[in-house]
Amino acid sequence: MVNVFAVPVFFIVFRESLETAIIASILLSFLKQTFDTPDSDRSAYVRLRRHVWLGLITGFIIVLAIGGGMIGAFYRLGVNAWANTEDLWEGIFCMIASVIITIMGAAILRVSKLQAKWQKKITLALQAKRSETTFGQKLEKYSLFILPFITILREGLEAVIFVGGVGLSYPASAFPVPVITGILAGAAIGFILYKGGNAFHLQIFLIVSTGFLYLVAAGLFSRGVWLIENYKYVKLVGGDVGETGVGAGSYDIRNSVWHVNCCSPEYNGGGGWGIFNALFGWQNSATYGSVISYNIYWIVVIAYFLFMYFREKKEFDASTRSDSDLEAENGKGVVGAGKVPGHTGVEVDEKSN
Amino acid sequence: MKPFVAASLFSLLPAVLSKTVTYDFNVTYTEANPDGQFSRRVIGINGQWPIPTIDVDKGDRLIIHLHNSLGDVETSLHFHGLYQNGTAYMDGPAAVTQCPLGPGQSMTYDFTVDQPGTYWYHSHVKGQYPDGIRAPFIVRDPKGPYAGKYDEEVVISLSDWYHQENPVLFSRFLSIANPTGAEPVPDSALMNETQGLQFNVKPGKTYMVRMVNMAAFAAQYFWIEGHKMNIIEVDGIYTEPAEADMIYITAAQRYSFLLTTRDDADANFVMVGSMDEDLFDTVPDGLNPNVTGYLVYDAAKPMPEPAEIDAFEPFDDFALVPLDGEDLFENPTYTFSLEVMMDNLNDGGNYAFFNGITYVAPKVPTLYTALSAGNVTMNPTIYGRDTNPHVFKHHDVVELVVNNNDPGKHPFHLHGHAFQLAYRSDEDAGLYNASDSSIEFAKKPMRRDTALIKPGGNMVLRFRADNPGVWLFHCHIEWHIQSGLVATFIEAPDVLQTAQKIPQDHLDVCMGQNLATVGNAAANDKNFLDLTGQNLSVPPIPAGFTARGIVALVFSIIAAFLGLAVITLYGSQEIKQKRT
Repeated sequence: MVNVFAVPVFFIVFRESLETAIIASILLSFLKQTFDTPDSDRSAYVRLRRHVWLGLITGFIIVLAIGGGMIGAFYRLGVNAWANTEDLWEGIFCMIASVIITIMGAAILRVSKLQAKWQKKITLALQAKRSETTFGQKLEKYSLFILPFITILREGLEAVIFVGGVGLSYPASAFPVPVITGILAGAAIGFILYKGGNAFHLQIFLIVSTGFLYLVAAGLFSRGVWLIENYKYVKLVGGDVGETGVGAGSYDIRNSVWHVNCCSPEYNGGGGWGIFNALFGWQNSATYGSVISYNIYWIVVIAYFLFMYFREKKEFDASTRSDSDLEAENGKGVVGAGKVPGHTGVEVDEKSN
Repeated sequence: MKPFVAASLFSLLPAVLSKTVTYDFNVTYTEANPDGQFSRRVIGINGQWPIPTIDVDKGDRLIIHLHNSLGDVETSLHFHGLYQNGTAYMDGPAAVTQCPLGPGQSMTYDFTVDQPGTYWYHSHVKGQYPDGIRAPFIVRDPKGPYAGKYDEEVVISLSDWYHQENPVLFSRFLSIANPTGAEPVPDSALMNETQGLQFNVKPGKTYMVRMVNMAAFAAQYFWIEGHKMNIIEVDGIYTEPAEADMIYITAAQRYSFLLTTRDDADANFVMVGSMDEDLFDTVPDGLNPNVTGYLVYDAAKPMPEPAEIDAFEPFDDFALVPLDGEDLFENPTYTFSLEVMMDNLNDGGNYAFFNGITYVAPKVPTLYTALSAGNVTMNPTIYGRDTNPHVFKHHDVVELVVNNNDPGKHPFHLHGHAFQLAYRSDEDAGLYNASDSSIEFAKKPMRRDTALIKPGGNMVLRFRADNPGVWLFHCHIEWHIQSGLVATFIEAPDVLQTAQKIPQDHLDVCMGQNLATVGNAAANDKNFLDLTGQNLSVPPIPAGFTARGIVALVFSIIAAFLGLAVITLYGSQEIKQKRT
């Protein structure tokens, strides 16, 4: 299964698609709330909505074209250049992938933060265009095309680069399925957000998928260390370590923490143990390096999230205090009830204009 | 150096025509470049390399005064194929029948050679003979069954050659860096320790060619273009004549064959020795597995290039019949099997095992233990766990089954005997099954002292325990001796105690190095059954999860769960905050 489904590729594509979907959903709901009102021009709404979709679709097609070409070239180059030092490069790519996933993962968990971020950016962008009339009417006219177009190009190319970097350690056959499913999953979440689905269930889903994401990343980090160690061992042995199968001689006993003569995620393609390795970092032959790096990874992640938890808790407590002051003044809630938080900000901007 | 030959007092009487041949051997380092590719330090004798061929007649007494001038390593001499019946202490393997001869020490080998044939001698200290201390040992038989059937005798040795010294190669071979146990591949093949050997022959003559493979590792295919070989002896046993176009000669084996030259001297012919590359884990680029020599009828004519051959189709030595027609020994009284396998031990090295035991030398030479053990001498325990001891009673008919669980070829050699090769399976036949009625033993089995077992196959050897002594049984690939493919056969030690006595100069070798000459394998001479402190092999690799592994796995799982808990905590903050 590892040969047809590269787990890190899935998560990267999912993450980038989700971000794009959020932007699209924010734009679309903005249009809906601004132009799809009984007293507004319905045809303008349809036209602008078409702009958004056109931007998304043309951007997507361009990304697919560029991405396909880039990964193809990258892959061919990589296979030629790194064939002899495969373990070393695979190890390095695993660690890079782990770091990328770790950094991106937190954002998925705080989807509302992501939404809020884009809310702000989009608002600023729209505002800027409105104020700078010197840019002409045309730019404003097509801003709802350009914004999603640029966004999807940016996110898409980011995904291509990450996928290229992470995915080099996988065979070409491992790309299509995770890419497609990643896009579909990202789009589905975006749609749920747009529709204002059950925020609680969505958050549960995001927690679970983020948990998986970090399990994968921890496994990748450990696997990266393992592969680099294995590279050194293969170099020392100077021959084909695979010849020894999974038994004695297939691993460096000096670094061994445990070793079972079965269940190898490497030997003969790994089979089910390969999946176990991709999801949880399983090794039948654990080394000091792989075990310690796995634990260190988790310690760092735990420390980071605890830090974030307490910082945001403090911020939130502070803001709710000031919010409640505001609330007392305005007599109205500021934070939206889960639908599109921060949406009110746009309305405020509208009013202030 | 010429042997000093003392004609015996009764030399005029043909019936007791025997002489004493004396050699003074001073083992020294010297330089040599036998393949013309690389000059290296070699172990020679009296400053010479190749070392002298020992040449005696049947019945001669041989005296060798051996002095070790190597300065840094021990040595010993083993006379490969000689039964040493009555002089077991002259066999030569260090820690088995003597202490290793330390730097600066001297000792004397003194025994009567009462068996004709083609033999060789070499150091029997781990891994030493590939560095040069090896040469043919010829026992001529002027009254033998083939006397008069040939005009001249010649000796041709085959061997393999390394550019690196054995200790250097060995330190990598048996280490974590070589988990598959890939044996170092020789750099060249040699014929009479050189290449391009010219063997001058006359037309219309018959030569008895005595061929010895003195290799550390490589078996060789050997053929002579335009000539047939008529095999008459293997490993000191005369056989019914058998015609062969090509022979396969493993490390330590010997063949004598009659070679009848052509009637004209129109051309010269090439002799080819070709190392069996199946033995090599990988064949290095640029390796020439062949060594060529020439049957020179006319030195003025060109030396031909060898022709390409399509396939190696050597003579099967199992088909040979001993000339004395000795029948298969029936009704064995001591039957056992040795299971050959390779595995890695806890230092990462790939060791070789018989029945799960990889040989480790005892603290006291096994022969000395047998002689000093009194009435517990028949108890295998006293010889140490890792010498892999098997004790036979006097006149036992021994049946030894060897099962090769390894995908490699192994030439197994037994000291002190020529065994009957009752049966040898095809490749990958698996374990020997005594109840398989399709297996037929040879009626008059070929006897020799070194026999090839096929990859994944088995063989059945029989011999009579009529030679009290301590005899090693081992693979004669020197790398495998060093990785432990050795068992110790202790034959009639009770008889040995009454019949044989160790020469004082042999005991002095031990004393000079503070090595014990009495006691069990652990050098305990008070209680022979207490083996505390015996030399043991590196322990096996611990299997699966040890305490360390379990702790590591549990910690990793806890870390992952804690991490997931914190992620959930952080993620659910969002829900909480949305709700407020």
